[in-house]
Amino acid sequence: MARTTPAPERGRPFGERFRRSLLPVFTALVVAYLSLPILVMILFGFNDIQGRFNFAWQGFTLEHWGNVFSRFPALNQALINSLTVAVVATTVATILGTLIGLALTRYEFRGRGPLNLLIFLPIATPEIVLGASLLALFVSVAAPLGMATIIIAHIMFNISFVVVTVRARIAGFDRHLEEAAMDLGADEWTTFRKVTLPLIFPGIMAAALLAFALSIDDFVITQFTAGAQTLTFPLWVYGASRIGVPPQVNVMGTIIFLVALVGIVLWLYLQRRDVTARPTSLNE
Amino acid sequence: MNTMKARAGRSRVFAAVGVSMALVLGACGIGPGDSNDASPGATGGGGQPVGGGEPSGVLNFTNWPLYIDDDGEGNRPTIDQFEEETGIDVTYSEAIQDNSSFFGTIQPQLEAGRDPGHDIIVVTDWMIGNMIELGYLEQIDVERDIPNFGANAADKYKDRSYDPGNLYSVPWQSGITGIGYNPALVDEEITSLAQLFDPEFIQKYCGQIGMFSEMRDVISLALLYNGVTPEDATIEDVEAAQAILLEQAECVRGYYGNEYADDFANGSLAITMAWSGDVFQLQLDNPDLQFVVPDEGGILWTDNMAIPKGAEHPDDALAMMDFVYRPEIAAQVAEWVNYITPVPGAQEIVSQHADEAEADGDTETAEYLRAVAESPLVFPTDEMLSRLYSYKVLNEDEERQWAELFQRVTQG
Amino acid sequence: MLGWLRHHKGVVPYLFLLPGGLWLIVFFVLPLLTTASVALQEGSLASGYRLTFNFGIFPEAIGRWDTQLLRSLQYGLIVTVLAMLIGYPMAYTIAFRGGRYKNILLLLVILPFFTSFIIRTISWKFILADQGFILGTLKEIGILDQGFRLLATPIAVISGITYNFLPFVVLPLYVALERIDPRLIEAATDLYASRFQAFLRVTLPLSISGVFAASLLSFIPAVGDYLNAELLGSRNETMIGNVIQRLFLVNRDYPEAAALSLILMAGILVSIFFYSRLLRGQELTI
Repeated sequence: MARTTPAPERGRPFGERFRRSLLPVFTALVVAYLSLPILVMILFGFNDIQGRFNFAWQGFTLEHWGNVFSRFPALNQALINSLTVAVVATTVATILGTLIGLALTRYEFRGRGPLNLLIFLPIATPEIVLGASLLALFVSVAAPLGMATIIIAHIMFNISFVVVTVRARIAGFDRHLEEAAMDLGADEWTTFRKVTLPLIFPGIMAAALLAFALSIDDFVITQFTAGAQTLTFPLWVYGASRIGVPPQVNVMGTIIFLVALVGIVLWLYLQRRDVTARPTSLNE
Repeated sequence: MNTMKARAGRSRVFAAVGVSMALVLGACGIGPGDSNDASPGATGGGGQPVGGGEPSGVLNFTNWPLYIDDDGEGNRPTIDQFEEETGIDVTYSEAIQDNSSFFGTIQPQLEAGRDPGHDIIVVTDWMIGNMIELGYLEQIDVERDIPNFGANAADKYKDRSYDPGNLYSVPWQSGITGIGYNPALVDEEITSLAQLFDPEFIQKYCGQIGMFSEMRDVISLALLYNGVTPEDATIEDVEAAQAILLEQAECVRGYYGNEYADDFANGSLAITMAWSGDVFQLQLDNPDLQFVVPDEGGILWTDNMAIPKGAEHPDDALAMMDFVYRPEIAAQVAEWVNYITPVPGAQEIVSQHADEAEADGDTETAEYLRAVAESPLVFPTDEMLSRLYSYKVLNEDEERQWAELFQRVTQG
Repeated sequence: MLGWLRHHKGVVPYLFLLPGGLWLIVFFVLPLLTTASVALQEGSLASGYRLTFNFGIFPEAIGRWDTQLLRSLQYGLIVTVLAMLIGYPMAYTIAFRGGRYKNILLLLVILPFFTSFIIRTISWKFILADQGFILGTLKEIGILDQGFRLLATPIAVISGITYNFLPFVVLPLYVALERIDPRLIEAATDLYASRFQAFLRVTLPLSISGVFAASLLSFIPAVGDYLNAELLGSRNETMIGNVIQRLFLVNRDYPEAAALSLILMAGILVSIFFYSRLLRGQELTI
């Protein structure tokens, strides 16, 4: 894409420059708006609260950073559980959903109507109905409630989101590229790996991001499928809100935020080295 | 045209399959399998209490998050001491988020007669009443197995209407539902329910009035405003209460769960229903905030420990229940939780701890403990207690009628 | 195996569908039918439920909660339009102007949702509180009336839902836009006089699969949302999701809760059906 970026901005008239900067400025503003609560969250991780509620600013302290992982051991476990569920559910749902998306957009087969219904219904079903229905199923077959049942539930509600997102990428996809590859002697697997997958990869990644966000913040369905001994981060925090959500929760949120940010910056850096080392790939 | 028809035909078949499947599966859905005699029915007075045996060495204690003492380093002294003393291995889980959804998650298991995985659960009194009626709780013998309860609990917390004779439960902590107000926004003293309900009065604070979404709390206050004792309320009384609430509704900012404390703290609410323990905490940040038990009366609610039907380790559960009724343990919990302990003897012990901290030179802790010991929100005075009422225990029909009336208030 | 597949090409799509489809049938369809069948039963927890084919519950439930049903569809629609108006320019910018920062921008869009909704709501309430640092200051200097508030209004609920579902709009739009060759747009700009026309005739049609996906992913969950109305609204913003939640958990009126859920789902499916007809010509239609 960088190839097509036109001449330097300097040479353009002011009106043109102004118009060209409208969209980036708008985007920056929206991103700032999206991150506003995150800033407040970070700030209140430093709040020197006197009581147990973390609502009003009381002064600066590093105390909650010092004991973030030792103060509430149950919270550590809850966070680990949440991350595990999100990673496993996202991976499985992304694979299953992508396969359905491929089938829906690239093959002719009977039963598309019911299949489309099957994809939309889980998103349209109130969460509480999803949760209660699944619980009834698990109890009726005497399945022990815990991590496994939570993961099953999360995969279930994530599949539809993945299918819809991936499909937005594959729809209108140019089949000629694949045919060309096959004409050049590549077998189907190679074609898929070298041509199809890179082309739809941004769709898969976007779908996985959505699934991860849905999974890590899910409350209602998790509540019904978690059982007696397994807690996730949102469950603990929601329960804690009766007594007062401790600032350590903000600190953990901040750490997640920072880790994700540092991760992406590192990845960006590595990718850049990669790009300079190799000729531009088809995707660029 | 043809494909349209074929499609319509297919979806009809699909629908038909759906319905017949529903019929087959209907029986094993939510709700009691009435064919299943082994499923718990109302046990009435005929059941045998659990207990009287030797502890098994394992206990699954399920509570709300942050609802037990904690030493600030990730340990829970009460649990640790219990384990050390009895050799019982406690799994303490904070899996309860609120009464209704917790009930929703364990109900199918209890109905199916499966071990719910909890030996002690902590739920609010009205939920105890519900669960007793549905036969979901094990009967206990407090005299035989929880002697500390008889010896140390205040009379106010014994033999309550939701569980006469404490056949199924003993209190964990209590709280008061009353009125909280923010003097920065309210220029008069609030003392009466009229200042929460009277349409003329609240005009001044329209949009800054907070109410709860908890049906029993709200209806009980409206009943008290009408001069009706909640426990004696008839359905006509509740209809009259609903009329009051509907009239008030236009000025109500919201029907809150726990998040009311947030709006109260940040100045969005001027006058609000409030829970005593919350206001005690909020006052530590903002000493101006006030809590009152209205002249007409307030509600004393109680979270109780109970053993769900089919629990695997009842003897261990009873041992824990007895343990927390020792005054020094009750004091330890009260110091941290700051709700109302059922053990009045704890007050003196908290004061002693304050003195000890002072002697050790730890003035911050001493001040905090003294505030706890002296706060009427943690250790209510007898005068306050005399103005507190309990929720009415509802049978299933009443429950449905109340709920329908109340849903119109909160959800239009 | 591969050889066999090559000779039975018709089987391939079914193989692709099998794992995900089975998952949905076992863990969604079957349990849902069980719960849905409760709509046609009568009784209570204590006395047990009997199947009475009480179809009358559907008109009854609609009659009782018509305001909330309509309000939910209305909010869903407003949210979808708003999210699209905000999300499309964003996705466009990220796809065509993002350059090396595409991925970091995408991550920034989704990152706020990696933290618990409770924390996000507490943060919003702090920012928008009646006496908070924004409204409080504006009131102090006299720009706003003392009684003015943002929280507990339809504005708060609708912006809350829009906020929550913005990533569900930006991501599918992005993946559809990013696929478009920018040279096509340049060529179009040369052909048509105005950029806007080029956008309408080329970019928008090429990204329609993303528009469709994005509007579904915001509309469907928005109509059924209950958290925002619960945490940011008053009784006048009650949505059907709140009613179902309360019927189910508090009133334990399982038949009515199930019936209302089915009504909601049917309403959503009918809306999608008409919408997909509107965008006909897409291979996405039901």
